[in-house]
Amino acid sequence: MRLFTFFLAALAVFFAADATAASPRRIVSIGLCTDQLLLSIAEREQIASLSSWAVNTDMSYLADEVGDIPLNDASVEAVVDLRPDLVLASSFAAWDTARLLRQLGYEVRQIPPVGSIADIYDLLRRVGDWTGNAARAAGLIDEMQQRLAEIEHRYAGRPEKTVIVYAPNGFTVGAGTLENDVFAYAGYRNLAAEMGIEGFQPISLETLLAANPDVLQIDRDLSRSDSLATAYVDHPVLERFSEQRERLDIPLPLRICGGPMIVDAVEAMASRR
Amino acid sequence: MSAPRLRPAALYAVLLPALLLMLLLALQVGPVDIDLGQAWQDWNAGRTTVPMLILFELRLPRALLALTIGATLGLAGAALQGLLRNPLAEPGIIGVSNGAALGAVIVFYYGLAGLGWYLLPLGGLLGAMVSVAVIFLLVGRSRSVVTLILAGIAINAVGGALIALALNFAESPYAMQEIVFWLLGSVANRSVNDLYIALPFMVAGWLLMLYCGRYLNALTLGEETAVSMGFDVARMRLLLVIGVTASVGAAVSVSGNIGFVGLVVPHLMRPFVAFEPRRLLPASMVAGAILLLVADSAVQLLSATREMKLGVITSLVGAPFFLYLILKSRNTLQ
Repeated sequence: MRLFTFFLAALAVFFAADATAASPRRIVSIGLCTDQLLLSIAEREQIASLSSWAVNTDMSYLADEVGDIPLNDASVEAVVDLRPDLVLASSFAAWDTARLLRQLGYEVRQIPPVGSIADIYDLLRRVGDWTGNAARAAGLIDEMQQRLAEIEHRYAGRPEKTVIVYAPNGFTVGAGTLENDVFAYAGYRNLAAEMGIEGFQPISLETLLAANPDVLQIDRDLSRSDSLATAYVDHPVLERFSEQRERLDIPLPLRICGGPMIVDAVEAMASRR
Repeated sequence: MSAPRLRPAALYAVLLPALLLMLLLALQVGPVDIDLGQAWQDWNAGRTTVPMLILFELRLPRALLALTIGATLGLAGAALQGLLRNPLAEPGIIGVSNGAALGAVIVFYYGLAGLGWYLLPLGGLLGAMVSVAVIFLLVGRSRSVVTLILAGIAINAVGGALIALALNFAESPYAMQEIVFWLLGSVANRSVNDLYIALPFMVAGWLLMLYCGRYLNALTLGEETAVSMGFDVARMRLLLVIGVTASVGAAVSVSGNIGFVGLVVPHLMRPFVAFEPRRLLPASMVAGAILLLVADSAVQLLSATREMKLGVITSLVGAPFFLYLILKSRNTLQ
């Protein structure tokens, strides 16, 4: 009898595996953004390994959910050793690893950079298709759209505010960036985009002050050590400038990657309007 | 050389108004058009407005840094040329500036600067001091131009490599790109804090160098003569070295290595002070300040979004002058 149940169990496992044969079962991610997409969309059993960025609490929103999933250093050797049937990478990082893996005959999928929240829906759909979790991806998209509509409704009465992002070396985010779209959803006007800045470009401190935004988002998270680059964001003039203004300190993990967590960034910003 | 023999009063009647004019010009230059009168009124009324912040927190500190660093480099150039009795001595060429930059880089990128405001200029001072010590070791009492330049090349090469090494191992992900700042120098995006940090060391250095003016006069007649005139040569030399390294070390630690100012300025001023080292010191100081203010305004006017480094301008002007001096001294000084 016991032998029989064991046999049945084994059979069940065999058929279950057979039924999902089309979807990959050993997925390896070698980038922060694909780590988080996998954690959101794929079954845990499908994930063979995530990049070591996944547990970096300065950047990863889902660091707590990594648990016992093995980490990799995004090197070709580490990935090959994991015998993956699908490798997920960003097209904007570790591209050399991705290219070599593809030459070695591995199935490599690269996600494009996202420039809007609509791009995120597209991204979720794609990763859902690649990993055989299309239904879950669709569910996440629905949930995001519902929450965004709710947020818009809840804060509709509040006045619009102007904002500028300032990052090391004087970089700011302009039009065509995810952050710019997040500002729009949260009811902010990004003055850098209105100045004609596209993507990520540096502006001088004088230009920043002259634009005179209601709100400043200053990014220093990634570099606690001293450098001339961070002297831009540490300049005492910003301290004095923001005395009568608000500082928007939306944590980096919420907005560094395209994913469902972007709604939390929108909500955090909208609630501060 | 036939030069107009100006009385000191006449010289400074030209230099000081020019300095003031260039300072006002520097305050006027920037990426944004602001009404300076409005900014001044806001400041007087205690209002924190954008023009007021731009003028007093961005442009004034920058202009004052250019002014004091220019003064430092001009004065240090004149003092070194007098001390080494060598027309090609200059903080940048003989490696003192790179030594200072190395000291500052180590303090700045390895988290030491946060332990005390004085550590950054002190790092610059120590780096400069090591360079000067090596110069004295290599050149000794020789007045050979060639020996001095070769020693400078060697010290600069080692200094530059060590700066790159130190930046390579720095924790900051931006460190490596910033080697350009340390090797070419800039006063862009500096704040009033940088002025506060560097000024005490620069002023102390200025006073020491100016104090040694009479010794430099005596030294033109040779060390023996200076001794016979009652100067303690070792002490005077030490005071001058401390003066040069304190001021150049502090200047470089907030602005990087801005080259050739200390070379060009004393040569331009020498005819106007009757070739007298003591009178050359303050004249070079004021002229250096003017030169760097002009150069920094030019940098901002010539390059809008991606600002070029200040050292690019001073080197473009100074390097041909350096070549001219070498060609000239080939005949007279060998």
